[in-house]
Amino acid sequence: MRKQFKDTTSELAMKDDKVVIVLGDISHFLFMPLQEKFPTRVYNMGICENALISVAAGLSAQGFHPFVHTINPFITERCVEHIKDDLCYNQFGANIVSTGASFDYAWDGATHHCYGELAILRLLPGMEVTQPGNRQELDTLIRSQYNNGRPTYFRLSDHGHTLDVPVKFGRANILKDAGSKLTIMTAGPILGNVMEAVQDLPVNLVYFSTIKPIDREVIARFKHTRILVVHDAHGLQEAIHEVPDLSVSYHGLPDRFCVWYGTVHDIRKQIGLDPAGIRQAVQSRLAAIR
Amino acid sequence: MAAMTPFCREIRRNILMASRSSGHGHIPTSFSVVEMICAAYETLQHDPKNPQWPERDIFILSKGHAALGFYAVLAHHGYFPVEELKTFGAFQSRLGCHPDRLKVPGVEVSTGSLGHGIGVATGMALAFKIAGSPRRVVTVIGDGEANEGSVWESMMIAANLKLHNLTVMLDFNHSQVRSLQIPNPADRFKAFCCDTLEVDGHDLEALKTALAKPAETVKAVVARTVKGCGCPTLANHVFEWHRKSPKPEELEHLMKELEAA
Repeated sequence: MRKQFKDTTSELAMKDDKVVIVLGDISHFLFMPLQEKFPTRVYNMGICENALISVAAGLSAQGFHPFVHTINPFITERCVEHIKDDLCYNQFGANIVSTGASFDYAWDGATHHCYGELAILRLLPGMEVTQPGNRQELDTLIRSQYNNGRPTYFRLSDHGHTLDVPVKFGRANILKDAGSKLTIMTAGPILGNVMEAVQDLPVNLVYFSTIKPIDREVIARFKHTRILVVHDAHGLQEAIHEVPDLSVSYHGLPDRFCVWYGTVHDIRKQIGLDPAGIRQAVQSRLAAIR
Repeated sequence: MAAMTPFCREIRRNILMASRSSGHGHIPTSFSVVEMICAAYETLQHDPKNPQWPERDIFILSKGHAALGFYAVLAHHGYFPVEELKTFGAFQSRLGCHPDRLKVPGVEVSTGSLGHGIGVATGMALAFKIAGSPRRVVTVIGDGEANEGSVWESMMIAANLKLHNLTVMLDFNHSQVRSLQIPNPADRFKAFCCDTLEVDGHDLEALKTALAKPAETVKAVVARTVKGCGCPTLANHVFEWHRKSPKPEELEHLMKELEAA
């Protein structure tokens, strides 16, 4: 998705002279051609994430559309108060684009894992939170939201799913409506594993690329069913509860640091978020309902 | 120390009265920044009748807890009625104990948590540089605030980008004698590659001269100040008065001290 981020923002920067890229010493080489073309609008500003958010707020205050980009936990969890005060409280818009979703950097250990930021950022008033599942979704969501004057979070992953889902900001996609008593709700790249796990099972499947605002209308349509949230992060389950009186259970992260190194696929398998683990969880839930 | 001007004395009177009537206020720190904010508003381009004038310069009180001093200066420049200062911190007032840009005319950035306004100021100065605009940005930070890492992150960025249109004024009132003091902030700013000046922070003319001086890169003005400047009772008991509203008899005493200053 990083290349798509570069491609989309580069195209936008050609058309819109208010686009400014602020890098925290990540993806610099990727953006060098754009920096050569627009040296005053592309900055590798340094490894100082809190200040990067504040700088983005200042750029936004004066009419620019900044994209702030670096590794996920550093630009989100580390910067929560700067995002809250400088962007949300002040109502200055900016695009925060992280790379390294959940366990993308499994081999780097827990300092580089990030699975809580969707849940944290959705708590901030005025914040928009997206989790695109692949390159096409990222392109659609960035083009839709980058210049709307609100703080928006885009979560990149190196492991996007391969499905073609026509996403729209703030709207969920009903990928399967089998009239089942069990509805699987998921978001982001893990959709690939979820789809492989449940495609021949008698369940409904709802997909979210936006965590905030959550699509309450679609959730409400499945209110009469049991809901199983399958997600390799926190945030979706909490957002779904904006609709009252649901019956929701969660198949996702354990309450521990997942420090087994290896790859994202190794970690997913270890915690039951590979296709087999998800299928087992769904079948177990189906059996309980029957 | 330079003699207090009648205008700055009047600002301090308003701070005391507003604190008394509201029951709120960081009086000593508000007193230490009076001349700095007055100098900024007498140097920068701004229009109280049109706070959103597109060509205006920007002032940001990064040390937002000195809001009462800031409000008093804004009110005297005509951004809102001086009478409104009495509502400071009250339910439904526009004037919170930290400034909110969405409520108060003339406030450019909502501040309060330390180490934020300076970064936003850096972003605004960069925006003006990108746009080729002559507009400039001045921010006041506290010496306590300078404990925050984000202050120095911002200074590194501003110096690296040579933001000559940004001035950072440090209210060097020695508040951090109680914890993490920066012994010689001018040396610290120089080490961060800032164009650094040091002045008497209660000398209005010296501050205005420092603000007007052209710079090649980000300018740091270390303003030597006294917490509670103008009232010995405040200056000699800064911890007791850090966040306190005067009782009627205390107000009377402080007013007398202020008149004698």
